[in-house]
Formats: sequence, C-alpha cells, structure tokens
Amino acid sequence: MRQTDVVVIGGGPAGMAAAIESARNGAKTIIIERNEVLGGILMQCIHNGFGLAYFKEELTGPEYAYKFRELVKKEKNITVMTSTFVTKIKGKTVTIVNSSGIDEIEAGAIVLAMGARERTAANILLQGTRPAGVLTAGQAQKMTNIDGKLPGKNIVILGSGDIGLIMARRLTLEGARVKAVLEINKTTSGLKRNIVQCLEDFKIPLLMQTTIVEVVGENRVEGVYISAVDDNYNFVGEKKFVKCDTVILSVGLIPETDLVDFADINTRTNGPVVDDFMETSAKGVFACGNFLHVHDLVDNVTLESMDAGANAADFALAGCKKGKKFCVIAGNNISYANPSFVHSGDGIAKIRFRLKSNVSKKWIRVVSKDEVLAKKFVMAGLPGEMQTLEVSREKIKGDILLEVEG
Amino acid sequence: MMKNTNNNDMFDYVIVGAGIVGSSIFSALARSGKSVCMIDKALDVGTGAAKANSGLVHAGFDAKPGTLKAKLNVLGNKMYPLEAKRLGLSIKKTGAYVVGNDKEKLEELLARGKTNGVDGLHLLSGSELKAKLPMLNPEIKYALFAENAYVISPYMFTICLAEEGIVNGGRVVLGFDAKRIKKHGDIFTISDGFDEIKTKYIINSSGAGYNEIANMIGSEIYELEFRRGEYFVLDSTEKNLVPSTVFPLPSKAGKGVLVTPTVDGNILVGPSSQLSDDITKTTAEGLSFVRSQASNMIPSINFKKTIRIFSGIRTVVGDDFVIEKSREMPNVINIAGICSPGLSAAPAIALYVLNLLGLDTKIPAAKKIKPYVALSSLPVSKKNELIARNPLYGKIVCKCEGISEGEIVDALSRPLRVVSVDGIKRRTRTGMGRCQGGFCLSKTIELIAKKNNITLFDVVKENKGSNIIVSGVKKS
Repeated sequence: MRQTDVVVIGGGPAGMAAAIESARNGAKTIIIERNEVLGGILMQCIHNGFGLAYFKEELTGPEYAYKFRELVKKEKNITVMTSTFVTKIKGKTVTIVNSSGIDEIEAGAIVLAMGARERTAANILLQGTRPAGVLTAGQAQKMTNIDGKLPGKNIVILGSGDIGLIMARRLTLEGARVKAVLEINKTTSGLKRNIVQCLEDFKIPLLMQTTIVEVVGENRVEGVYISAVDDNYNFVGEKKFVKCDTVILSVGLIPETDLVDFADINTRTNGPVVDDFMETSAKGVFACGNFLHVHDLVDNVTLESMDAGANAADFALAGCKKGKKFCVIAGNNISYANPSFVHSGDGIAKIRFRLKSNVSKKWIRVVSKDEVLAKKFVMAGLPGEMQTLEVSREKIKGDILLEVEG
Repeated sequence: MMKNTNNNDMFDYVIVGAGIVGSSIFSALARSGKSVCMIDKALDVGTGAAKANSGLVHAGFDAKPGTLKAKLNVLGNKMYPLEAKRLGLSIKKTGAYVVGNDKEKLEELLARGKTNGVDGLHLLSGSELKAKLPMLNPEIKYALFAENAYVISPYMFTICLAEEGIVNGGRVVLGFDAKRIKKHGDIFTISDGFDEIKTKYIINSSGAGYNEIANMIGSEIYELEFRRGEYFVLDSTEKNLVPSTVFPLPSKAGKGVLVTPTVDGNILVGPSSQLSDDITKTTAEGLSFVRSQASNMIPSINFKKTIRIFSGIRTVVGDDFVIEKSREMPNVINIAGICSPGLSAAPAIALYVLNLLGLDTKIPAAKKIKPYVALSSLPVSKKNELIARNPLYGKIVCKCEGISEGEIVDALSRPLRVVSVDGIKRRTRTGMGRCQGGFCLSKTIELIAKKNNITLFDVVKENKGSNIIVSGVKKS
C-alpha cells in the first residue's frame, strides 16, 4: 500500500498536464500509465498540427508528448509508473498491477484521464461478413506508425473523423490507394484543415451522405456495397460495389467510462458529469481530457486538464472551497456544455461546449435570470470545434443558460 | 505451409471436422486408447457452428420424445458438469425460463420434459415469476423454469477436448482441406493434394461441409438446410440484465430469440433463424428481428451496449440428428444435421458413436490437460505469486478484459498450435471486450508470430487467407 496526495490515471496529454499542475500546486502526485512510455495516443500521431495554441509552434504528436514528458521530469513531486494497469478504483484507493505484482495506492484525490476508445464495427452494426481487413483508424494508425506495417492496399474509409482523414493521407503516402471516404451525415466530423490537407490535396473522393451497406469477403475483405442515404439514414438509390481489401472505420470516440460505477455519467458526452472544478459526482474524483468529453485539439485537452490537476491538488491538500451550486443548461443550438454544474464564489468558471450546427456571425452568450454573464462573437463555428466561454463566479446567482443568439 | 503429415500416417479412426461433436468423439476415442486423428480444413478447432451458437446446455424438455435429440440432449446435460470438471472449464447452472402467455403450451412442454426424463421443471406465474424475473415484460404471465440448464463456453469445450485427445495420444491435423478420399481394401486414404492420411474408419462430423466429405467417401448424402442465426453480444456492464436464460415459447423455426448471460459475464441475444446459404454474415433484417423479439421479453435491454454482432450457421436435416453407420460404405459413421441441441448433446453423441463402432462406452480414467487459468479469477495472493515467478503476468495486453502477456504466451504454449488472432481471442478473451482489439491487436499479432516462429505477415485472423498485415511501410 502506497500513499500520495493525487493519483492521475492515464499518462497521455490529459494525465501529464493534470499531474504537472497538481505537482506545481504542491501535491505529491503519481501518474499511472499502462504503456511503457508517457504520451498515450500522441505517440502514434506522427503528423503535425499539434501545439499551435499551447506552444505557439507546430509539432508532431510525439514532439508534443516529448515536451510534456520533459516538464513531468522537472517536477520533483511527480512519480511516474509506466507499464502499470489499474484494475480497480474504490473510494480513493486505486488497485494496480504491474510486473512487480499487485499493489494499492491510497490518494487524497484522483484525476481520471483514461481517454477514449474508438467506436467499432459492432458499435455501428456494420453488416455483412467479419473478415480480416476491417479495423479502426487508430488501429491502422498504430500498425502503420508504430509497427511500420500496412493494414491494406485498397482502402475504403467509413466516417470523416479526424483520425480517418489523417490515415487517408498517411496510407496514400505509403502507396496504398484510398478509394473513398464515406460520411453518412451531411457535415463532416473532422476539422476543415484535415479535409483540405488530407483529402482534397490528394484527390481522395469524399462521398457525403453515403455509407456501407454490407462488407463482402470470407477471409479477407473483398469489397463493400455502398449506398447513398437520405436525411433519416435510409438507403436511397442503387447500392454500388466497391472492390477493396480494407475497411477503416473513423466513426467516433467514446470516453472510456464503462467501468466507472462510482460517478454519474453524462448521457450526451458519455463522460462523467462534472462541475466547474471538474469534480465528478464522486467527491475528490476529478476528470479531464477525452475521458471527460472528446476534444478536437490536444491543446484544449492540455488546458482543461491543467485545471483538473490544480483542483485535485487543492482538494487533496486543503479541500475545494465552493459556493452555491447551480445547473448549466444547453440552450439554442448548443449540442452540450461541460460542466453540468457551476458554483458561485471566487475565480472563473470555464464552460466548454459544442454547437449543434454551423454558426456564422452570431453571439453566443451565458444568461442567468435575464442577465448576460458572458458572451463571445463567433465568425464561423462548426459542430466539430470545441468552444469556451469564461464566466466570473461572483456573477453566478442562479442556473445559467448557454445559447446562440437569435 | 508446413507439411502436416508423414506418408506413413495410419490411424484406426479419422474424424473429419473438428467442431464440438468431432472433438468430443476425438477425446473419447483417444482416452479409450484408440489410434485416432482429427482433421479440419480450418487452422483451429471449433471455427464453425461450435464457436457461433448460444453456449447453452439445454435441459432437454424441448425435443420430441423418442428422438435422438431428446435422448442425447438429456444424457449430455447430465454429463456436462463432469466434463467441465475433468477439463477444468467453468460451467454455470443458470437455469432457463421459457416464457409466454399460452399456459397450455407451457404445460405441454412440461409434460414433454417429464417424458424425456428431465428433472427440475416448474411452472411459474404471478408473484413467484415476478420475484424470479423482475425484468420480464409484465404482460408475460407464465414461465416454465428448468433448473438444470447451464451456460458454457462452446469453443473452450471444443479446444480443451481437442487438447485432451492430444495429450492422450490422438493427433490433430489442421489446415487439412480434404480433396480426395479413396479406399483400397480396408484402408481409406484421405488426401488434400499434398499429404495423405490413412485410416480404417472415418467419422464424418464436418457439419455444414458434410455432403462434400460424404461425396468423397461415397457415403449417404442428405438434404441439408442451413439456418443462419444472428446474435448480439452485450458488454459485461450489462451482466445483471437477466440471471438465467430466457426463451420465448419455441416455434417451428427453432427455440426462438433468447436472452442469456454467458459463462464469461456478457449478455448474448439471439439467434434469428433464416434459411440461407452457409455464409455467416449479419443482416439488417436478422438483427432487427432479434432486437424486437428480445425487447418484447426484456424491455430494459440496452442494445447501445452491443460490443459484437455475429452469425452462425446451423445445419438441419429433417427433424432429428443423423448419427448412423453408413449403409453405402462400411466403416464410416455419418453425423449430420447437428443443429440445436447439438452442443448440449455432444458428450452423449460421442458415447453413442463409440457404441456404433462397437467400442466400450465406459471410458477409462485418462491423462488430464492443464487447465486454462484466467488471472482475473485468482485471489490477490495467488496473482502475486504468479507475477513474482513470471513478470509477464503483470503486463496487461488486453485492457478491456485485463488479460496479461503471460496468459497469451501460455495459450500459445499448449498441445494445440495457435496461429490465429481469433484463436488467441477464444482461449484468453484477448480482444473479446468492448474495444474489440482496438488497443491489443498489434501486440497479439507480435506474440503469435514470435511463438510460432513465423513473420507478422503470416499471422491470420482465422482461416487461410485472413492475413491482417499486407506489407511493410516504405523504406526510408
């Protein structure tokens, strides 16, 4: 049995940022990471585009991870446990297993930063046979970038999530032929810059409102039947056969909260319900990163997780001082808002949210009892992008509503 | 492909088809000290109907009295707890409910069960039923409860029976796709175009492929009907959905869509029953049928927690199993149409076949296989002891199921060679969880390649041609 102030579970970008900020606030902090090195999924993201917001320079995933690993090293208060797996969280005791055996860590506060997993073929009820050659974009990415192996030569990508778009370009550069990227919705889920740089620049067709009807092939994928769909996702027109040996799925991420039975889960985000201190409904248990809600940019993960780490340290060392608790309501054209609750008192509450549909030249505001507490002007906002609004806690005197004007 | 056999390979018995039935017979013959070989075109045992079914040992009230189905199901049901003990496998006596509003039909089933010799049947209704199955649709008024129904892992039984046959002197030749069978005198020669295996007796238990093999042998051909059954597997987070297997009243198409806990802690929902060819695909119609039928019985079922969909083929010949000596060709046993309750009947089918072969059905005590041990099932002190001895047990590869590298290496070091990712999945549950191998596929491929001394490109998902990696990246 070990004891510490804060345990951070997960050593990806969220966990590292949370641990650094926890340590800087004076808390003895342990990071638990199941892989051999810190960095999480960043390690397989060898493309650039990371760090523009946080470091003001363009980095690859491993470079971004490296910078944070160096920051972690500088903090004397941080102990890193890699190749270590958490088997149980009960109260504030974490059971771990690694090659030295099974142990328990008793902490003053816990930060959950376990990230997300990809939605699978089963999650979207992909029909047809179940041959080799159907994999998620992240699996394909790991295989290509970490293992140096190609999952296929003729590829159809289902879903326009960012990892899928990145992999379309990556596999094209490796000599594979990406026949098409299919998106069942009317809008893409990936970033605009990835649509341009990963598909358009390589002349890879993006077929909107199109999906896979059936996978064909007994041992290895031999092709897919694809079809256009209407706004209600019903197949329309004739289905078409596309020959391919690989189907890559980029159909979304799900926070890894399946085994969290000690805290309330937000059914909209699949992450835990948190308040403006990023504390879950379990006292002293905080959450951040893709485990809390799926982010667009790692820089946003870092900023959010630093808050979680600082608050966890405060809790462990002194206990968070919170005022009165109020609800956050997602109003007009807001898909969801995190946190679900805010408190009155000192400091600033950050509201992170996503839009339901494209917004151009509109004010987004936080309203409480007919008073506008905060607002920002959005030139062009997309549902895929995460937005932030800051509200001064001293203004909060009741439930707050977040909405797009007009 | 490595050479599977020697020219001198000569056996008294060859079993064609390494499903649950073939493997049960194989183990029984090997334990009886007979010279026996089991062949299959697949690269692992149990890759057909044996891996894609409901995983239930039925009590035996459903089959028509006097049929082989009834007789062998009831006997098999009585044998399973001992089989499980001998093989070191888990079996859970969950019991099964047949639910419905047609009380007369349920009473009929009860009477039929009694005729078949099934004990522990009870008709339930009202508060008694509500107390036992509070999640049941309240509009459903009656249930027949069968105490003696079990859930098992059908593929683990198949694998362990095959291993048991091997440790008792039997031979398993996989990847052997029989192309020709000739008979000279009393000796059959089975060839796949490369290698030959000679035998005095053939037991044709090749399931969906029965007629192809029968054609080569010159034994009876049957009109086979293939029924595709599609299933949902729900996440282990849903494990408390139902305490027991819940069926609707059976119909002509089969036992209907059931909802059951699995022995490994998931929930299984299915099957549909569509006449089809023998392709194991899932379809929108099949799945939506399963979904609506299951939701009718258990309204709280959450299909958003689906982690896997699959389909299996059951081969049907008329109303009963075919298990007989061939009249066309001496020294051949025909086994065809082993649909439900085939898994339940399998150990009894083995004894029935021994009897057909004129052998003693009292099998002597034999060598036991080393049981598979899931680390997660052990107490902390035992886990620590294992990790201290081999640190690989502390290195978790599959995070959803908590499977260590040590357990995967163990599965690769057993009497039966494993060359497929799905083979490892069945033996260890690696990749069986909610992420479906998203995080552990690469590592699993690497471990399989290393242990078998093959390249990463040679590692397959399941059968020949199901290679996962196609090439390396460009050289810099």
